[in-house]
Amino acid sequence: MNMSVKSLRCVSRGWRCFSSRQGGAMNVFDRSMKRKQKEWASSLLDSGKYDYLRDEVASRVADRVYDVSRTFPLALDVGCGKSHIAEHLSKEVVERLFLTDVSDSSLRNRRACEIPTHCVVAEEEFLPFKENTFDLVLSSLSLHWINDLPGALRQIHHVLKPDGVFIGAMVGGETLYELRCSLQLAELEREGGFAPHISPYTAVTDLGNLLGQARFNMLTVDIDEVQVHYPGMLEVMSDLQGMGESNCAWNRKSLLQRDTMLAAAAIYKEMYGSEDGSVPATFQILYMIGWKPHDTQAKPAKRGSADVSFADLSRIDRVQTDHQKTNDKS
Amino acid sequence: MSGSNVWTRSRARMRLFPELLAQCSGEATAYGKCVAATTTGKQELTKNTCVKEFETLRSCFQSAAKKGVK
Repeated sequence: MNMSVKSLRCVSRGWRCFSSRQGGAMNVFDRSMKRKQKEWASSLLDSGKYDYLRDEVASRVADRVYDVSRTFPLALDVGCGKSHIAEHLSKEVVERLFLTDVSDSSLRNRRACEIPTHCVVAEEEFLPFKENTFDLVLSSLSLHWINDLPGALRQIHHVLKPDGVFIGAMVGGETLYELRCSLQLAELEREGGFAPHISPYTAVTDLGNLLGQARFNMLTVDIDEVQVHYPGMLEVMSDLQGMGESNCAWNRKSLLQRDTMLAAAAIYKEMYGSEDGSVPATFQILYMIGWKPHDTQAKPAKRGSADVSFADLSRIDRVQTDHQKTNDKS
Repeated sequence: MSGSNVWTRSRARMRLFPELLAQCSGEATAYGKCVAATTTGKQELTKNTCVKEFETLRSCFQSAAKKGVK
């Protein structure tokens, strides 16, 4: 009995070591620090007042789920935080829901919803589920802290059933450019050089490639901008900290000098402030929808199967009614 | 962590920051304009390009902080 317990412990330790080294070639973020930040943020007494951004994005993701006119028997929410999406969904659309997050105090403080849920503490890059399990995988505002994003997307593809769908939202593009530029200019003027304080984001152009490489089909990627107004730069930074979105990249500078902070706050207000004295912070949210391939899905037409010619473009209205009769698939 | 430690004290000091900055809005605007001018003009932003404006801002900020503490 002792031998088997010891060997189990060795195996589990080996798996953890293996997992921490195997992030692919990319190791940008300190995942254990991110877990600590999320635990701290969700155990704040007033953590509810920092949830506005997540709630807004989660409601938009839920809208996209409703747009797919299907009922999903089993769904997974990756990096759910305090489970913001589930409260917008109903039992008719999703019958059972699995919630996963790296931080277990977020799961303990999760919102109530009418769907029966199961909580699993799991890393987004190492989903502990079998292949072909879920009809729907959701992810809202957690993919931007993943080291190996292609690997995570492949894992999501792996756990989806054929003809299953992945609907996700992540922060990307030019998010928080005002904060980034103000800090850069302030550090340049005060200290003579600058260090990255904002974590790197995925560009919207790369997202389509990433989903395609993970072998998703029928991709939809769109970008949405949420602008939130704050009294000043300090409030932006403290709200980001309260959301659990503090920087955890390995290359982050751990110190922000007081002079630089003062200078950056002044620059932020002057360059980006509005007339009423508030300053905006821009969050660019990238929404993505991808399907796991299945035979019932529409495929590109075979070469040589065209039955209309471009030369018939002048008679387009007559041609269109003919086409509607032939292309009747829902 | 409960009780007073370096983190709670520094966070309490940071909470006063926006009010103190609001008392120096004129100097902050002047400094901001100086830095913003370098982004559009030909002059490159190097260390201490706007040091005069920053020193006025910092002294205003420090006097506001001293007044606040009393």
